[in-house]
Amino acid sequence: MRWLRFAVGLLIALTLHSLLDSFFPNSLAFFNPYVILVVYYSMGGNVFGGIIAGVIAGLVQDAYSGAMFGLHAFALTVCAYAVAYINSRLALRGTLAFGGCLVGAVIVNELVIYILVNILLKQKVEMFEQGMIVKTIFTCLFGMIVYLLLALFLREEPIEATRRPTGW
Amino acid sequence: MAAPADVIPRRPTLLLIVVLGMLFFLMSISTRTRYIGETRTMFERSVMILFAPVPKTVNWIGQSLSDVYHGYLDMRRSVAENLQLHRQIDQLTTDNLRLRQSAGDLRRLRSLLGYSEQFTMMTTMAQPVMLDTSSRFKSIILDSGSNSGIEVNDAVVNASGLIGRVVLTTKDMAKVQLITDGNSSAGVLVDRTRRQGVLRGDGSTGAQLYDIISLADVREGDLIMTAGIDGIYPKGIPAGVVTKAEKGQELFKSITVRPSVDFGSIEEVIVLHTRKVPNDVVRYAP
Repeated sequence: MRWLRFAVGLLIALTLHSLLDSFFPNSLAFFNPYVILVVYYSMGGNVFGGIIAGVIAGLVQDAYSGAMFGLHAFALTVCAYAVAYINSRLALRGTLAFGGCLVGAVIVNELVIYILVNILLKQKVEMFEQGMIVKTIFTCLFGMIVYLLLALFLREEPIEATRRPTGW
Repeated sequence: MAAPADVIPRRPTLLLIVVLGMLFFLMSISTRTRYIGETRTMFERSVMILFAPVPKTVNWIGQSLSDVYHGYLDMRRSVAENLQLHRQIDQLTTDNLRLRQSAGDLRRLRSLLGYSEQFTMMTTMAQPVMLDTSSRFKSIILDSGSNSGIEVNDAVVNASGLIGRVVLTTKDMAKVQLITDGNSSAGVLVDRTRRQGVLRGDGSTGAQLYDIISLADVREGDLIMTAGIDGIYPKGIPAGVVTKAEKGQELFKSITVRPSVDFGSIEEVIVLHTRKVPNDVVRYAP
């Protein structure tokens, strides 16, 4: 059931990705649905699952973006690990906590991409700071709205649905 | 069985390191293949193929919605354009009718003008305002009279031929006796043989040619022209065509003439201010 939710979330993220690419090209420079998905899944505190979710979501994003294959997967895996690790100890819950995790995840994600691009391609990312701020704000806002809708729809704490099973 | 708390982070950390190492390797391959021109690795292609239905479906839906939206817009534009074109067609049809009318008028007037230029005398253009061909007395009323120089006994013609003569004038109107009138007569000749005679109206739609002796050569289809011997009509105006020529009861032939003018379609006429024969010349008796 947890992975089914992740699969559905991944399809929705890819749909958003395609939609935005079709109607608002370059809009993914301001908003990243894959980060929302990975953070949502990782907040269950399942570090192992978070890593897998980060890899899969990142590879899908890589497959449909112009970046070198594995770049987003790398960044999202780091984010997923960090969020899952923190949540395995603190068990953050609620919309604000989700928003906070998203802010951190987006910043980490962007920093990792920035570093990797610099190392591997020796390219400078144009307007990195501005892009990161805008992306953080929009992704955080959108993610919090999605979280609230999920809470209304599931009638429970949405994160609980992604928690690792007892004994893992 | 619950795992010890200090073990949980270690195994995922190891996994993380392995995964990140693999991803870094993947990125390196991807970077290298980009430099040699191959932009997709096999693994990347596999992921794309696996998830291809999603973007394809999104694209299809987006395209369909776009088609519907643009179809609706195109339809609205077509309807508006159709209405506008209908209005234009109506306008152009009206213009076309007016132009056709103008072209017809122009052609007719040119014909009249060319016809009138062959006469050396003064001419006046006039239009009939009344046409009476129903009774035995055939006449038309013109919209010009003595103010335009029209006098009694002026010949009236159009491009087709002889119409008649002016029998009455007012300042701004003139009455014309048609050659089909029962009291009308004109000196004419047969164009082919130059045989002269008198054309009199039959009070109906035609005329009779008199004073042509039985031996004269007159046939059906012969053109009848004014002879210029009656002091009213100048010489050489087409008056009609012989439709029937047969032997009469006495010395003369019985000849029926169809006027060259269709009196039912007269629109403009030319009044020829012919030179009148003075009365004292007419009545002079030696």
